[in-house]
Order: sequence, then C-alpha cells, then structure tokens
Amino acid sequence: MAQAARVAIAIAAALLLAAPAAAAPEKDRRWAQLSGEQQKILAPLSAEWDRLEPEQRRKWIGVAKRYPKMTPIGQKRVQTRMQKWVKLTPEQRKQARENYRRISKVPPDKRGDLQRQWDEYQSLPPRGKPAPAK
Amino acid sequence: MNETQFALRVRQLLDQGARVDARVAAQLRAARERALARHSPLPMAGLALAHEAMGRVGGVRSLAFRVLAPVAILGTALAATYAWQQQQRAAEVEELDAQLLSSDLPIDAYLDQGFAAWLKRRASQ
Repeated sequence: MAQAARVAIAIAAALLLAAPAAAAPEKDRRWAQLSGEQQKILAPLSAEWDRLEPEQRRKWIGVAKRYPKMTPIGQKRVQTRMQKWVKLTPEQRKQARENYRRISKVPPDKRGDLQRQWDEYQSLPPRGKPAPAK
Repeated sequence: MNETQFALRVRQLLDQGARVDARVAAQLRAARERALARHSPLPMAGLALAHEAMGRVGGVRSLAFRVLAPVAILGTALAATYAWQQQQRAAEVEELDAQLLSSDLPIDAYLDQGFAAWLKRRASQ
C-alpha cells in the first residue's frame, strides 16, 4: 500500500515537473518590464500594451522570441501588421487563423503566388466571388 | 489424615497465625500498600491508552493513504494535464500568429470569408 502510494506520488511529481518543461509559457510582463530588445520588436504595441489581456501579452512575448529567426521581410510584415491584429476581435483572429490553416494546406505549386492570387480575387466583381464558406 | 482434613488444619493454623497484634497488623498493611503502590496498575493503563491512541492515529494515516492520497494525486494529475494542454494551445497560437503575421498575404486576405475557399477551388482545377 505504502509502496503503491509512493509510486503514485512519484508519477504525480514527474507530471508536475514535466509539464512546464514541455512548453514553458512566457511570463506576463508590463511594458516597463520588457527587455530593450522586446520593446524594440513590440514597439507598435507600446501604447496599448498594458491594456492587453495577460494571455495576449504572453503570446506577443512569444512572437517576439520568434522574431529574430524571421526573414527581414517577414519581420517588417509583423511590425506593420501588429496594430491591426490586436484591434481585431477574438472571433476575427480565430477566423483568420482558421483561414491561414486552410490556405497553408493548399500545395504551394498549385496555389501559385499568393499575393497575385489575392490581387486577382479582390479585382473580381462582387458576384464573381463565392458565397462565404460556412 | 486425608487431604480435606489436612486442608482444614492448614486453614485453622493460618487463621491462628493471622491473629497478630495491632502494631504488626498496621506494619503489614503499610508494607502491602507500599508494595501495591509500587506495582501500580497505572503505568499499564497508560500504555494501553497510548497503544489505543497510536492505533487510532495509524487508522487515520492508513485512511489518508488509501483514500485521500490517491484522490489528491488524481486531482494534481488532472490539474497538471489541464495546465499542460493550455500551454500547448498557447504555444500553438503563438506559432500560428508569428507565421500568419509574417506571411505573404495581408491580414485582410485571412479575414475574407471567401478567399480561402476560392483559392482552394482554383488550386484543384
């Protein structure tokens, strides 16, 4: 009995220790608590940073961590899109992520130049556009 | 003299012998009381009490191990699993947002209700 309890305690302890190691969450920080590097990357959000949800702030700190690995053009895009992204509703962001997943699944050789496709789609007359996907 | 007669005789003699004067009787009583006091049953009672108490504590402990510990462990494991899932989800969103925001298409393209479906249909043609 005591041995079984000990084994169970060991398993629980292992779970507790393994959980944070699997995906260490970013710590929530106020703007003033961010490092200089983080402030530089997240500068477009400086005005509203302290009003963001803690969850969102942690997310952005995570995005900032990935930022140095992005291409220069990718970095520029992130910088210019940040503000718009935080102003969306959670539902809009969810929808956008869903569409991103769907578009990413289309094989690159078939989808062609995405920017050109988007331009073409936008130039279609309203009737030429398909009904919103359900 | 048979056995019964012998026993009666011994009793008679003992009864006679027990007739001691008051001083000796008092001394004997005092000695007996001292002996009894020294052989007090109180320590024994204390031991018994302690044993019972230990038994009760042991009972509580074994109950804790049998019922409460597994429940606590299960609860902890569930909480840890939930926290881990939340973290996984947060990490996923983080990665997705980083990709989406640095991708070729503007945010509007992902917000558009029909573009993804249009692109998919086009790609399959």
